[in-house]
Amino acid sequence: MEYLNFFMFIIPPLFALLIHNYLRHGELSNKRKIVFAIVYFILLNAITLGMSWLRGVKGLRFEDMTLTYKIKYISLGTVMGFVLPFPICLLTEDQITLGGLKRYIKRFCQDMKKYTAYAIRMAKADLGAEVANAYLDWLWWMIEPVCNMLMYTLIFGVVFRASEPFFPIFIFIGISMWGFFSRSISGSVNTVRVNKGIITKIYMPKYILLFSKMLVNGFKMLVSFGVVAVMMIVFRVTPTPYILYAIPILIVLFLFSFGVGTIMMHYGVYVSDLSYITGIVLSMMVFMTGTFYSLSKRFPQPFGELMEQYNPVAFLIASMRKALLYGQAPAWELLLFWGFISLGLIALGAFTIYSNENAYVKVI
Amino acid sequence: MDKHTNDMAIEVKDICINYRILNNISVQKSFLKKKVHNEVFEAVKHVSFQLEKGEILGVIGQNGSGKSTLLRSIAGVFAPNSGEIDLHGNTVSLMALGVGFKDSLSGRENIILSGMLLGFKEKEIQDRMEEIVEFSELGEFIDRPVRTYSSGMHSKLAFSITAMLETDIMLVDEVLSVGDERFKKKSLARMKELISDKNRTVIIVSHSIPTLKELCDRVLWLHAGEVKQLGEPEAVLKEYGRFMGA
Repeated sequence: MEYLNFFMFIIPPLFALLIHNYLRHGELSNKRKIVFAIVYFILLNAITLGMSWLRGVKGLRFEDMTLTYKIKYISLGTVMGFVLPFPICLLTEDQITLGGLKRYIKRFCQDMKKYTAYAIRMAKADLGAEVANAYLDWLWWMIEPVCNMLMYTLIFGVVFRASEPFFPIFIFIGISMWGFFSRSISGSVNTVRVNKGIITKIYMPKYILLFSKMLVNGFKMLVSFGVVAVMMIVFRVTPTPYILYAIPILIVLFLFSFGVGTIMMHYGVYVSDLSYITGIVLSMMVFMTGTFYSLSKRFPQPFGELMEQYNPVAFLIASMRKALLYGQAPAWELLLFWGFISLGLIALGAFTIYSNENAYVKVI
Repeated sequence: MDKHTNDMAIEVKDICINYRILNNISVQKSFLKKKVHNEVFEAVKHVSFQLEKGEILGVIGQNGSGKSTLLRSIAGVFAPNSGEIDLHGNTVSLMALGVGFKDSLSGRENIILSGMLLGFKEKEIQDRMEEIVEFSELGEFIDRPVRTYSSGMHSKLAFSITAMLETDIMLVDEVLSVGDERFKKKSLARMKELISDKNRTVIIVSHSIPTLKELCDRVLWLHAGEVKQLGEPEAVLKEYGRFMGA
């Protein structure tokens, strides 16, 4: 554990440097790398230490530190390490300017406006085609999650005794939201390849393809939430005003998946075996997201609670369960915070796609 | 819509288009090799030309001389690496062989989606739907998924969409020899009809010297990505014929 004393200060700045280098298309000279490593080291640790000072941890005494504190320190530092390179790049790099950022945002908004009708039409057509040849039509969108729910309720509720109040609904919320996230991410990796036919004929911002795919997944998720509503009536869950939190939670989930998806989509074009890696990472993540059990109760502390805060999908699922089932208000500050991070991810993803999409057509 | 009749429709200024020969990397390879060395292949080198509104340009050249690449970049599929393409706000559509559709969707859905990407409203496309379906001669296949189509049916559908949804600039890549004899005649007739519109600017890529002689006002001969000749069809095509014969 002594190593952690060292790494907790080092990991966040290194991550920040990685993001910084990424924003500069990997063209950072070695000299600048060292300078920025020092800058990020000082800034990030100052921020994190400042935060812990405000929370009442005065002074640095390694022997008094708990593991929780160290992990929290790294997590917060890493998240800040994602955010900080954006303003730093704006201030220090000539190639990245405020005007350029404004142009990108403007272009993104215009493109979204122009192509949303197309994305919706394509999503509708996809949904239609999916059920056109199936015997049970759209019922499949309910049958599939319901069957999964029954299976997991049995295994985790009865066999592993990880039951929670309203366990079937608890699981159903988990698999609906996780299903949306994992389908969007695993789909994003080969989006460009799958739509090869269209994009070699006409220009469109490539993230529109992902957006349309996510509308399809989002619609299926909403169908499952219809089932959740029915189950809540059947199980006599007392509704509270907090169920309104469901809307912002779903919006943040959509934004976060879109942000991650755009970045994955870009790498999916070049790295041919990325889909295997995403598959593995996603199936690992299922268990770190608490799809089938409550992370904060079933995981050894402090990891469970930490993961519920610093794994955005886990946080969103847990918040949804609180709001719908247990009449508790989710932590809105954290929700807002993840919302902003998601916007940052989208900015990064859209920027990546805009600056590289020219080459996609030539690679595939 | 057009205030000056002799407006420029397309201005291509000194464009170069490179293909980086960057093969798919796998994660394993990128760990082993630190730097992936990229070769650059120049498909189009310093090409410039201007087209007035209503003009018809033929493009000819050997396979791999950069004709399709040039057309694609004018259509906006990708931007040139250097140089400028100015379409003066005209709408543009690229008509090319091969699939441009979503396989799982029906022909009808694909008509709507392609049309929307060409900048038409869904309503406008619905209005012209019957015409398109009729022209394509697909019959009941129009409501089946595109993956069930034969390659001839694919091309017929593609041709019908761009031929019926009219844009200001049409880029035609080797599609005048699509389908059976009857459809070929029909599409050539339709093509002539479209071209006769004085506001429509057309670029045709073809290997057929007679077709170009018949349709074009000027011909551009591309050789290894560079402009070899640009001028009157008669003269350029004669030179080209001699070059290919030799």
